[in-house]
Amino acid sequence: MDERHERAAMIRASAAGIADRSDLRRARGLRYSELGFDRATWREMCGLGWLGLRLPESAGGTGLGTFEACALAETLGAALVPEPLVSAALAVRVLAADARAAALAGDQLVLAAWQEPGVPYFAPPKTVYRDGALHGRKAFVAAARGAGAFVVTASEGVFLVAAGAPGASLTAVPTQDGGHLGTLVLDGAPAVRVAARDEDWQAALDEASLTTAAYLLGLMDAALARTVEYLHTRKQFGVAIGSFQSLQHRAVDVKLQIELTRASVHEAASILDRGAAAPARAAAVSRAKARASEAALFVTRQAVQLHGGVGYTDEHDIGLYLRKAMVVGPSCGMASAHRARWAELNLEAEAAE
Amino acid sequence: MTATDFNTLSDDEFRLAARAFLADHYPPELRNPVKRLHLPEARRWYEILSREGWIAPGWPREHGGLGLSAAKQLVYLDEYERFGAARLPDSGIVMLGPLILRYGTEEQKQFFLPRIISGEHIWCQGYSEPNAGSDLASLRTEAVLDEERGEWVINGQKIWTTLANDANWIFLLVRTDPSRKKQQGISFLLAPMDAKGVTVRPIVNIDRHDEFCEVFFDDVRVPKANLLGEINDGWNMAKALLGFERVFIGSPRQSGYALARLRRLAEHVGCWNEPSFRDRYVRLALDLADHISLYESFAEQIRRGETLGADVSLLKIHQSELFQRITDLMLEIGGEEAGLLDPIDGDRDLNPAGLFLVARATTIYAGTNEVQRNIIAKNVLNLP
Repeated sequence: MDERHERAAMIRASAAGIADRSDLRRARGLRYSELGFDRATWREMCGLGWLGLRLPESAGGTGLGTFEACALAETLGAALVPEPLVSAALAVRVLAADARAAALAGDQLVLAAWQEPGVPYFAPPKTVYRDGALHGRKAFVAAARGAGAFVVTASEGVFLVAAGAPGASLTAVPTQDGGHLGTLVLDGAPAVRVAARDEDWQAALDEASLTTAAYLLGLMDAALARTVEYLHTRKQFGVAIGSFQSLQHRAVDVKLQIELTRASVHEAASILDRGAAAPARAAAVSRAKARASEAALFVTRQAVQLHGGVGYTDEHDIGLYLRKAMVVGPSCGMASAHRARWAELNLEAEAAE
Repeated sequence: MTATDFNTLSDDEFRLAARAFLADHYPPELRNPVKRLHLPEARRWYEILSREGWIAPGWPREHGGLGLSAAKQLVYLDEYERFGAARLPDSGIVMLGPLILRYGTEEQKQFFLPRIISGEHIWCQGYSEPNAGSDLASLRTEAVLDEERGEWVINGQKIWTTLANDANWIFLLVRTDPSRKKQQGISFLLAPMDAKGVTVRPIVNIDRHDEFCEVFFDDVRVPKANLLGEINDGWNMAKALLGFERVFIGSPRQSGYALARLRRLAEHVGCWNEPSFRDRYVRLALDLADHISLYESFAEQIRRGETLGADVSLLKIHQSELFQRITDLMLEIGGEEAGLLDPIDGDRDLNPAGLFLVARATTIYAGTNEVQRNIIAKNVLNLP
């Protein structure tokens, strides 16, 4: 086992307390609550150094790689952990020292708000920064009600705006996983520029897409594990239903998609960690995210079907994976957006060869 | 026009009459509900149908039905669905009524049928059990005859009982002879839901709707006369019912409704004119068109008075999976908005997540698609 695998194993072990894949009672209980997550758990996660996992030690982080960040996200996904680590870890990458320290300590939750309603995922933002204030509209911010501040993209760069700033207003709509998505309307909200070069922001955003894919990977893995267990225990016609060949084959098809996702995510993480050129990184991330988003729905749909009637109930946990996949699947860019970007990067590269 | 002479009309004339009836009488606010209506919402429509004589299209006129021929029933169903009229708590009308007509005693007919017509009795169907789903014949809810008091004593549990929380009567399959082969020791019993020892527990689904329930029987006593048909003949009776209903469940309505909503969603997200989307949409539209043709071929068999074969299961498989593929594509194009708990911008026609979840149930209920495929493999292809 190489070092990064050892470190990944340690992270998985350290996450077992918060992210127990065999017990979804905490995740279930937080559904439809005001925040959709638990602040005490968030502090605990910050205390474990997860928020600063990718920051260098000089910036208060632990200096680990993308591979380890993916291992962590995978572990969280397997337990459907609702705390907004991916978005906060993206935001913290660009914060200045003071704000970063407060965020890393868990005192202030800063979330990234980079998407806009009606604007294609990879298109530049329409939000503008003028005379020290932001004007625009940011959408699809998960767990937004819990944020003290937002990192916002505008055509002039990346900015930090306080949640309660004058001219900033937040609305939220509930999602299938029991959380919510916020829309942040910025009507002259005072904001400060954060010191981020565009390529740094893009690189951090790609990592967020990849850790989202890893979260979905963990989610799929756990959904299959529970389904396999059910195929062992559920009996009809006097035998375990897992002895039926058609169900075995279905489970194998699910397994295949999971392993394709795993291979794609791990390869992308390696490409990022060895500092490949930007187009290669972006292509690898888009490939992994497109696979993960599509596979997550396939896997969780099949998991419900293989559970039969009980899979359709809210009281059985298997539906929680499906409804989480419905929400996390499209976050950080839906499959079609990532496929289109992959095609653009790869077909151009092919043409240049 | 009175309800007595519809069979004298041509199918086209009747279609217009049915269409006019719905337009004149249907409560507009109940059109195209995404979820099955509960009784308090559906009651008004039930009473209108009852009052106007349209509540039981297939029943004979002397029992309060419209006495429609099979062909006219199909026309009515088509118009009903096209209009977007809500399905009622109709187990008494669709499932039980025909069985009482065929197997019931004169007393049972006189007592139960008018009460179904009036809506005084709302029935639910107690077949599945926690350990008897796909393997329904292994059901274990038992009924023992207390000869002295002339009563059946029922113990056991039913599950997935549709709208049991709205019903005041239940018809159920019970084991009356454990010593026989499993299909041959089952009887058909009728029980009031307010009998001592009956407990209902609604189950909340993943679409947050409590359409299904568990029903528990703890020493529930019903009169001996509540047995329908012969003792230990319940399995055959339940199977005999699966004719018209099997074509009903393969109706193209759900997929047609969903496809129209897919277009709305595509327009909303702005991909309607993208060639890649258009190709996939057209594939689904062609699947729907061909499904309608397939459905019509089975309907034609009914019109000719033929008994449907096991191949009617093809309809259920294709309808439910087409409905799912349509809603899968909704999620694919809908992005974050397809993960919302409620309709987008409060627009009932933009509800991809709701439809996607409703579609999940259709390959599970009324005989899972796995069981339907078994039926076709065994009884149509005669595979070993």
